[in-house]
Amino acid sequence: MSLLKLAWRNVLRQKRRTALLSLVVVYVTVAVLFLYGLLDGYGESLVEAYAQYVQAPVVVAKAGWWQDPDPEHGLEVLPTLAHPLIQAQSPRLSLYALLRSPYRVQGGVVQGVDPEGERALSRVPFKVKEGRWLSRSGEVVLGYRLAQRLDVRLGERLVVETGQGALGLEVVGLVQAGVGNVDFAGVYVHLEDARRLSGRGILATHVAVKVPRGQEASVAQELNQNLPLGLRAKGVWDLMGPIRADYEGSRLVYLPLMGLFMLLAAVAVVSTVYVSVRERLREFAVVESLGFAPARLAAQVALEAALASGVGLVAGLVLGYGLLWYTSTHDVFGPLMRLSVELLPEAGLSEHLYTAFRPVYGLYASLVVALSALLALLFPGRLLLGLEPSHYVKGE
Amino acid sequence: MKGMLFYLPVLLALASAQTPLEKLRIALDRLRGPAHQGVYELQVERLEFVRTYRLRVYTDGKRTHLRVLEPGNEAGQAFLFLGEDLYLYDPRLGRTLRLPPAGRGERFLGSDLTFQDLMGRDLEEFFQVAETQGILVLTPKPAAPTPYGKVEVHLKEGLIERILYYDQRGQAVRELRLAGYQGLNGAYLPREMELRDLKRPGHRTLLRIAEIQVGAVPERCFNPLYLERGC
Repeated sequence: MSLLKLAWRNVLRQKRRTALLSLVVVYVTVAVLFLYGLLDGYGESLVEAYAQYVQAPVVVAKAGWWQDPDPEHGLEVLPTLAHPLIQAQSPRLSLYALLRSPYRVQGGVVQGVDPEGERALSRVPFKVKEGRWLSRSGEVVLGYRLAQRLDVRLGERLVVETGQGALGLEVVGLVQAGVGNVDFAGVYVHLEDARRLSGRGILATHVAVKVPRGQEASVAQELNQNLPLGLRAKGVWDLMGPIRADYEGSRLVYLPLMGLFMLLAAVAVVSTVYVSVRERLREFAVVESLGFAPARLAAQVALEAALASGVGLVAGLVLGYGLLWYTSTHDVFGPLMRLSVELLPEAGLSEHLYTAFRPVYGLYASLVVALSALLALLFPGRLLLGLEPSHYVKGE
Repeated sequence: MKGMLFYLPVLLALASAQTPLEKLRIALDRLRGPAHQGVYELQVERLEFVRTYRLRVYTDGKRTHLRVLEPGNEAGQAFLFLGEDLYLYDPRLGRTLRLPPAGRGERFLGSDLTFQDLMGRDLEEFFQVAETQGILVLTPKPAAPTPYGKVEVHLKEGLIERILYYDQRGQAVRELRLAGYQGLNGAYLPREMELRDLKRPGHRTLLRIAEIQVGAVPERCFNPLYLERGC
């Protein structure tokens, strides 16, 4: 206890130096908290977008369909999926088609859905901005940006053509989900119409399954153990396209970068402590000559480094969590994300990004304190371990 | 009895009168002309450029084989329209491809013409036909796969003179004009075809017949295998 008091007193002796040291740690702590929150928030927004809008938490399809998502690899018989965590399931039939308005022709992926089944599974039916969701065959619901691009309005007919057939469908709803794939490329038709457009005797191309958040991978894995031969289930992370690589790449870049930040902050703390120790070598020599063990002196220096960075950590945690709270409850990144969605409309990005808020980030940031103490023990501490008291006491 | 005799000519005239659908059918049949081969000039006009193609054409009225002669960088491309089937040979790929039916909506050589305009009978299949003041007015059948809200077909002496396509808001978006009909072996062929995109001023496509030779066309011309080597 006396060691702690001593260390604390020494830290307070050089208030300006301590304040500058703490500022470095504050900066790094805020950066660590914010970057972790941003990365996790980005990951969560991707999972949300793919699980609730673009795909589903879990998707079951033929192995051939996963290789080549063509209706020829569709399901002639719908599988019976049983798992205690399954909350809803609905067949879907997706196929590539040409969309023709009087002004423009554009290719896209048409999603054939069961209107009622989709309500239990996806948030898309609840994001209809104009008109209504599908209720019967002969209707189509479009992403509102796609409708603008094709220049079709509610009540008008849109021609959907595939290699196997063509249908004139009435536009009954426009969806604004805030997810690029839905708003810019969403084409939802009744499952019956999709079956006719596919021109094959299939009932669906895949079955979308709703499971609780966080259970996607485990449910998919357990389903795979009981699925009939040739069928395979995938969790939401496996359903993401190239954007998953972007997210994982970001983590690979930012996590070492944060480690480097923390190391540099600890080095800054320790280098200052080193200078401080060198200035006080005579003082330490006197204390040692009075019977204080060199190891205890080294421990005191390590404690000083830990306390100085600890002050910064506390202030950094307050500031960092304040920032995280704000950015996790306010759409601060909305304009930036909307720009990203414009640039990459089919990447599955959401127009909203909220940072994650997790206590564990504080633990990660506190590593800078441990690192400072360790480095202080290694460098200024070692200086004290090799101290010759007689040399300094004599004033040489 | 006397009264019946009076009405007989009227009844006969009514019986022989063509329905609007029949008029359309006959006009479309006439549009195809007789079996012939020739050279067509296709001029694609845009605000920024004008591009002219010369095409060698072989047709029996129902099936058509087209080969691009000029410009040099696109020469060798060949198209074969066999009713619902559409084949394309691209010399750069060195392959003949069968286009899916959806490909019929694609623009032909970047012009305003679609493959459907060249080969299709959509006007008969997808529309209900009525006649108003000598103009055939076509409205889509329920759920018909056409993006148009109305099509007007203007006839002159049973031949199509103008086709006006309207969007579903009542605005004319596309106009096709046919002129210079030539009687050939009892059939008719328009020597000039002009297609204008009414939504985009300056977008126009002209198709003219430069050379024509009426007569039977070898059957091999309608075989996809002959797209590459020519017939």
